Amino acid sequence: MTAMAEAPVAAPVAADVTFRIHRYQPEFDSEPHWEEYTVPLYPTDRVLTALEKIKGEIDGSLTFRRSCGHGICGSDAMRINGRNRLACKTLVKDLDISKPITVEPIKGLPLEKDLVVDMDPFFDAYRSVMPFLITDGHEPTRERLQSAEDRARFDDGTKCILCACCTTSCPVYWTDDQYFGPAAIVAANRFIFDSRDSGAEQRLEILNEKEGVWRCRTTFNCTDACPRGIEVTKAIQEVKRALIFRRF
Amino acid sequence: MSTTAQPGPVNIPAPRSSQRSSQRSNFELYSWLFMRVSGLVLVFLVLGHLLIMNVLDGGVQRINFAFVAGRWSSPFWQVWDLLMLWLAMLHGTNGMRTIINDYAERDQTRFWLKMILYVAAGFTIILGTLVIFTFDPNIG
Amino acid sequence: MQTHTYDVVIVGAGGAGMRAALESSKRARTAVLTKLYPTRSHTGAAQGGMCAALANVEEDNWEWHTFDTIKGGDYLVDQDAAEVMCKEAIDAVLDLEKMGLPFNRTPEGRIDQRRFGGHTRNHGEAAVRRACYAADRTGHMILQTLYQNCIKQNVEFYNEFYVLDLLLTETDEGPVTAGVVSYELATGEIHVFRAKSVIFATGGFGKVWKTTSNAHTLTGDGMGVCYRRGIPLEDMEFYQFHPTGLAGLGVLLTEGARGEGGILRNASGERFMERYAPTIKDLAPRDMVSRSMVLEVREGRGAGPNKDYVYLDLTHLPKEQIEAKLPDITEFARTYLGVDPVTELVPVFPTAHYAMGGIPTDIETRVLRDNEHVIPGLFAAGECACVSVHGANRLGTNSLLDINVFGRRAGIAAAEHAQQVGHVDLPEDAPGHTIALVEKLRSSTGGERVAALKREMQETMDLNAQVYRTEATLKQALGDVQELKRRYQSVAIQDKGVRYNTDLMEAIELGFLLDLAELVVVGALERKESRGGHAREDYPNRDDVNFMRHTMAYRHVGEDGQEAIQLDYKPVTVTRYQPMERKY
Repeated sequence: MTAMAEAPVAAPVAADVTFRIHRYQPEFDSEPHWEEYTVPLYPTDRVLTALEKIKGEIDGSLTFRRSCGHGICGSDAMRINGRNRLACKTLVKDLDISKPITVEPIKGLPLEKDLVVDMDPFFDAYRSVMPFLITDGHEPTRERLQSAEDRARFDDGTKCILCACCTTSCPVYWTDDQYFGPAAIVAANRFIFDSRDSGAEQRLEILNEKEGVWRCRTTFNCTDACPRGIEVTKAIQEVKRALIFRRF
Repeated sequence: MSTTAQPGPVNIPAPRSSQRSSQRSNFELYSWLFMRVSGLVLVFLVLGHLLIMNVLDGGVQRINFAFVAGRWSSPFWQVWDLLMLWLAMLHGTNGMRTIINDYAERDQTRFWLKMILYVAAGFTIILGTLVIFTFDPNIG
Repeated sequence: MQTHTYDVVIVGAGGAGMRAALESSKRARTAVLTKLYPTRSHTGAAQGGMCAALANVEEDNWEWHTFDTIKGGDYLVDQDAAEVMCKEAIDAVLDLEKMGLPFNRTPEGRIDQRRFGGHTRNHGEAAVRRACYAADRTGHMILQTLYQNCIKQNVEFYNEFYVLDLLLTETDEGPVTAGVVSYELATGEIHVFRAKSVIFATGGFGKVWKTTSNAHTLTGDGMGVCYRRGIPLEDMEFYQFHPTGLAGLGVLLTEGARGEGGILRNASGERFMERYAPTIKDLAPRDMVSRSMVLEVREGRGAGPNKDYVYLDLTHLPKEQIEAKLPDITEFARTYLGVDPVTELVPVFPTAHYAMGGIPTDIETRVLRDNEHVIPGLFAAGECACVSVHGANRLGTNSLLDINVFGRRAGIAAAEHAQQVGHVDLPEDAPGHTIALVEKLRSSTGGERVAALKREMQETMDLNAQVYRTEATLKQALGDVQELKRRYQSVAIQDKGVRYNTDLMEAIELGFLLDLAELVVVGALERKESRGGHAREDYPNRDDVNFMRHTMAYRHVGEDGQEAIQLDYKPVTVTRYQPMERKY
């Protein structure tokens, strides 16, 4: 593969980029602190590339989760320059590199180490809204029929990768860990508006609780944070509307 | 391998079930709805109040004891002001309750802040209502 | 250290693992051990679809599907297994729909289907619409749907538990499954899981290569664990390179893009696949398309400043069609290359994608310890297994099918096995091997770094053991990998803590990767022919006389403690399709 080995004609230039990273080693640190690292990066490199470089070449103890590396698995949600994003979907060229780029763990979940938080409360909330198809009556031999319009009705919610960017950007969730949070509500919404589903009543009942949709203040942080472009706040509002029209 | 190899109950907690206490009530729904409805009604009541007092009835400098006495002799204005009092107080109190819920981090703080809020709101509503209904134009 | 006892332990919570868990947890006490949270598994990255002869949009039947699978696999497919898969495909899709999977629909409300590479009508006449899909997120939907149903069934998960050893107890009839040993990432604690049945569903090992569509976490742990316990690995030289990875990055762009009408073009804009596969052109199987792309680049017809990629052209498709049916890949191209597929050509080049080989199993998913004998209680399904339904080259969509069909079979078989037998005694010092592995790395004072070794391995594999191979490049790769294995002995980690020690985890993963890289190269060196995903320039033709057989690679430890790979062979099961020349 000689063609692959040729030197690039116009090689993009790597620039030194400084990262200011939240560090906390539970066994050695009494409390979290910041550390700065500088690595050479191309404008098209991802923040994840930078973290990999720092871990591989400077400090192997830097800890973060990652898997797919292209925004599908939802492992590497973190706060980059104060905004919740996926490190693998944030490119260096979209950040201001004249100042250090801050990288912190997502807020509102218990901190475990460096950029790793305990995801269990997040998944507990997800589990508690019954995020699965509930049907009644006889099961058909073939598939259940569903029109393309009915399928499109809940499409937005099906894109969710459970990265927790939305839930951990919500100011209500930061102070009240009992709130279900946007991601769980999106999951409920996805089934409530699925024409094949008959469990809407039960899910609405759950979301009508004290810690349900009524805690939402429509700050739109969740919609801004979603790396999949889901209109999260709209999904929450749809559930509120369904609750109101169910009562009246 | 020591005795720990014996089969026994799982030592790790199974996936947690939700710790949320489910409280089946429509209180939050009604309070959310109340905020929207009372907000709309208040826009009408408050703007109407301001318009009448400041423009149509000839300006704020006319307001004195006799003016108030005159207005509250009419049931129409009694109802108007009573509605304005109740809706504004409940709307504001509910708003404050929300803010306390959002920003107070400790359960204790949250509880006592809300107690203070409810007492203050209750006092104001009761006092205001009493004044509107028991106003005696002959005091002066 | 803690010990847990279950009937069935499933290792891995991707598609195959969770599909197995849904069956097994209904019948037996089941635990799922996963090194990630279940929804992080790489099943979620699959895009294009899942084939089944539903015949919802045009005439089709599962026999045609079987033929395509066998021909696509360059006749190295075990034909009984392919029949099982294609026959059960229909119910597999319908089951998923009933679990709630949001498939795209036809105007009549049925599951919609689209064309995919190598899937044809009536034994190769023309492309057929067989792939059931949900936009270009089919794998994501499968993963989410299976996880949701696991929640519904209250399946017990152990998240971030990294399985490092398989426990086999020697009996008079040979080894019997006793359980697994796992390392809990959060605490650094070692857990022994006793089980009557163990299912491996740990996925692939794409991280052996630098340019890959695979996740960072796809490091072949399950295969490595089995191999180190003396289980052979089958057909490791057959690795699929997906034609359309984003050039230079390897991020996958689905074959569904070509199924929707996308065209591959070289620098001069020529639709070069017409020359290589005149009948189905861009929808030829992946091995042929990848080879063709590499040839175009080598012969100087590549595009770009270095002439090192070709283009995927979607610009003639309506914007609405692209945005409705291929939304994610459109976003990938925009995000990572700054190219808008609606109006611009997308630079693409082959990317390491899928292991056809793996842990050998029979069609009941029972793991074989040689050509004939199974290991009681041990099962494998999904990419880590080799049934072999994919032969020398997997057809697009057949992996999602594989995980559902054989995941289900594994779940049932494992639970039924567990109902019939009792727990065997654990071997002596069950966790010893794992504790030694972890402690050695933790206390190592050597000077080698994980990231450097991994990068060197990936570079030599990309250069020497990719789409095209020769004796010389493979020997180079073998030398490099063996040298890296030697250096790996003095690899050291910097994180000295026990909690969430990902530094340690990556060092262990690298050990597995190096083992597997060597297996790929050794298998490839000995296979002196070109077949499917294995293309030898020095042996450009398929050789059915000498190589119509599966490679079985065993780990052999000599008297001196030196380990070596020993190759053996296994015949291919042929039922009704005799090998013939592969033309499309």
